[in-house]
Amino acid sequence: MKIRLREPALAVVFILPALIFVALFLYYPLLQTFFYSFFKLHRTVDWLNESFVGLRNYVAVFKSEAFRDSFLFTLYFTVLTVVLELSLGLGMAIATFSVHHRLRGILRAVLVVPWAIPPIVSAMLWKWLFHADAGVFAYLLTSSGMVENVPPFLTNPTLAIHSIIIASVWKNASIMGILLLGGLASIPNDVYDAAKVDGARTGFRFRRVTFPMLVPTILVTVLFRALLALRMFELSYAMTGGGPGTTTDTLSTFAYKYFFTYARFGVGSSYAMVIFAFVFAVAIIYVSRVRGNLRFKE
Amino acid sequence: MSNANPYQRRRVLNRFLEVVVTIAIVTFCLGPLFWVLSTSLKPMGAEYLIPPELWPSKPTLQAYEVILGISEPGREDAQESSLTGVEEVGVASTLGFLLPIRNSLIVATSVAVCALLVSALAAYAIARLRFQWKIQSLMLLWVGGLLPAVMVIAPTFVLMRTFGLLKTLPAMILPNIAYNIPLATWLLAIYFSTLPWELEDAAKVDGYKPLQIFWKVILPLSAPGLFSAGVFAFLGSWGEFMLASVVSMGIADVQTVPVAILNLSFEYRYQWTWISAAIIVSVGLMVFVALIFQRWVIQGLTAGSVKY
Repeated sequence: MKIRLREPALAVVFILPALIFVALFLYYPLLQTFFYSFFKLHRTVDWLNESFVGLRNYVAVFKSEAFRDSFLFTLYFTVLTVVLELSLGLGMAIATFSVHHRLRGILRAVLVVPWAIPPIVSAMLWKWLFHADAGVFAYLLTSSGMVENVPPFLTNPTLAIHSIIIASVWKNASIMGILLLGGLASIPNDVYDAAKVDGARTGFRFRRVTFPMLVPTILVTVLFRALLALRMFELSYAMTGGGPGTTTDTLSTFAYKYFFTYARFGVGSSYAMVIFAFVFAVAIIYVSRVRGNLRFKE
Repeated sequence: MSNANPYQRRRVLNRFLEVVVTIAIVTFCLGPLFWVLSTSLKPMGAEYLIPPELWPSKPTLQAYEVILGISEPGREDAQESSLTGVEEVGVASTLGFLLPIRNSLIVATSVAVCALLVSALAAYAIARLRFQWKIQSLMLLWVGGLLPAVMVIAPTFVLMRTFGLLKTLPAMILPNIAYNIPLATWLLAIYFSTLPWELEDAAKVDGYKPLQIFWKVILPLSAPGLFSAGVFAFLGSWGEFMLASVVSMGIADVQTVPVAILNLSFEYRYQWTWISAAIIVSVGLMVFVALIFQRWVIQGLTAGSVKY
């Protein structure tokens, strides 16, 4: 027997495999984490047989000083990396856009490289650059006479925080550059021509023509990066392990530690839900901006 | 007399500035990698020389041989290591980086192929078939990709235990397929919707069924879209760390490159020539892939996050 499906039914069949994967490995775990966060789960995830504690996990999380630190670090990290990445990325995008086309080819290739490196590997790379005895920064600072003793990049709280931020900026500024380059390239040429005919100089053209037309792209890029920076895990985990103390623990590394070091799935899940709240808030703005012009033929 | 021509002089100056800016950006992006490459070519111990050598005077592939398991760390190395405080040395199996590379290749290739197949089907339905709720279906598939890994890691671990897949590669492959479907479906749906609509009409006249249109007409015309979605899935699952580290549970046989490199750095934390060699080995292939597919990477990145 041959089964004939109409197009709407066929569409459902085609979408179903993707939906099953996404539901099983993204939405179902999300729901589970949400449930876990209301139960006292130590060395077990059998929440049906464990005691319901209401919001007590959340209260414990919000009360702890470690949470306050990791929360502040996550926010500080997100704001500072995104701002630095935006400034550097904008500079690199404009440079790539305006240089001779042969140089532009080189630059575009080079900008892809930091992005292609796995996060954990880039963390290892920066750990070596910031090495206290033999790292390249230690050498540059001491040999140039700027400091006498090598600063403990990864073991002093303030320095560790900023070392991680530098590593993150290196990894992501170039991708920001590529995204903004796409925005620059999509500005129609006649806009520039018109400005030139009107006698606008380069600086003025940038401030009054290029930049305003780039603002939508900048906004979406910033939201996109903020979404990723809020969940930062690998850099802290591999560069400092959250240390010294808990100064470079992010919300993500903390949740992870609660899960897989302390086996306290309830508290860990509450941590995860706090990250979710932030990501959710940013995601709503991001999604609404991105889906705005999405059109498919019905 | 070129000095007399201010226009030409300005052009030379501009060209000079362009080169300077280019060099600065290249240094920023590649400098850190250059330093690690240099370290990886130094003989063991030479990475601690002060002042450090910018480029080793006697470059050697010793570190690569150790990492790839060609030569085992010898007795001298063991002595050196005990001096620096590492307890265990000489376990060749933990140093063989070939196995993690093999594992990562298996994981990344399976994920890329499966995610592409599943996503392309869904994207085709969304972009080309007649039904309601198109945008809603795409949103449902896409928004899941914005979830932080830590939100789903604990239940996923439990799920894998229930399936009996812990300490196996499928435990990394299956969830990673799901993690890469959102972006792939998004990119492919946008790509498919740009193809001309006459294709379907012509194919229908020829008596093609929807699945045939998908397989024989749409897919062959969508190479660029498939390339960018495929590269993202490949790179993403190659570099994925949290899930791989949790489900491999410290078993060396199923470690992927990111997990292996972190373990290496815990076990031999003073052997930075070895770690550097491991970094270069695991980065080299990916940078190669990204550079070959550069055009599609850039197109995909733009379409996947900013263009709308």
